[in-house]
Amino acid sequence: MRYALLVQGGPYSSQASHSALRFARAVVERGHRLDTVFFYHDGVYNAARLAAPPQDEPHLGDAWRMLHDEHGTELLVCIAAGLRRGLLDEREAARHGKAGHSLEPPFELTGLGQLVEAGLSHDRLITFSP
Amino acid sequence: MILHLLNRSPATAGTVDDALAAMGPDDRLLLIEDGVLGALPAQASLFTGLAGRLFALREDLAARGLLERCAEQANIVDVEGFVTLTEEADKTVSWF
Repeated sequence: MRYALLVQGGPYSSQASHSALRFARAVVERGHRLDTVFFYHDGVYNAARLAAPPQDEPHLGDAWRMLHDEHGTELLVCIAAGLRRGLLDEREAARHGKAGHSLEPPFELTGLGQLVEAGLSHDRLITFSP
Repeated sequence: MILHLLNRSPATAGTVDDALAAMGPDDRLLLIEDGVLGALPAQASLFTGLAGRLFALREDLAARGLLERCAEQANIVDVEGFVTLTEEADKTVSWF
């Protein structure tokens, strides 16, 4: 089956990101395709390029990146939720005159339409909220 | 059949009432995160109508030291069982 996850909880402030990641690993372990993870609301902080948690703690951003590298999972970040919270890729940073960017591939800024598309085109969409 | 996910403790939020009110006769309820507190015997009366359709996530029970304290009516599943429940349901609804 094709799975999509919706992550709406911020890292380190609720369990949502950890629950989603644990579920994501179990989904691919089972042989399903995890094609899309959509980050929305405070969930967009999972994509922060500069996140530097202590080395003996789980690094959520790296864990999502690994999922992309190993299983081709698309990591989609809601652009409206991201811009409000200071998560800009190089293009958006330039467009808004910002000194640096805070989001980089494999995370991608996309519109909410991609979430609707994910709900329609995948067999299952599972939501993890704070 | 719809799988409902509940991540709120019934002791601190009314979310459980909304979830139960929305559930159809064949729907299942999986308690995750703080929702697993609903699997304690003290909360058992909330779920009497869900015989065989109430589940609680093992990893979240263990993280809270509650694995040995569950009411018998709650079926304990691990994260692989969570995936199976989503396979068996037509869709999944999260309550939070």
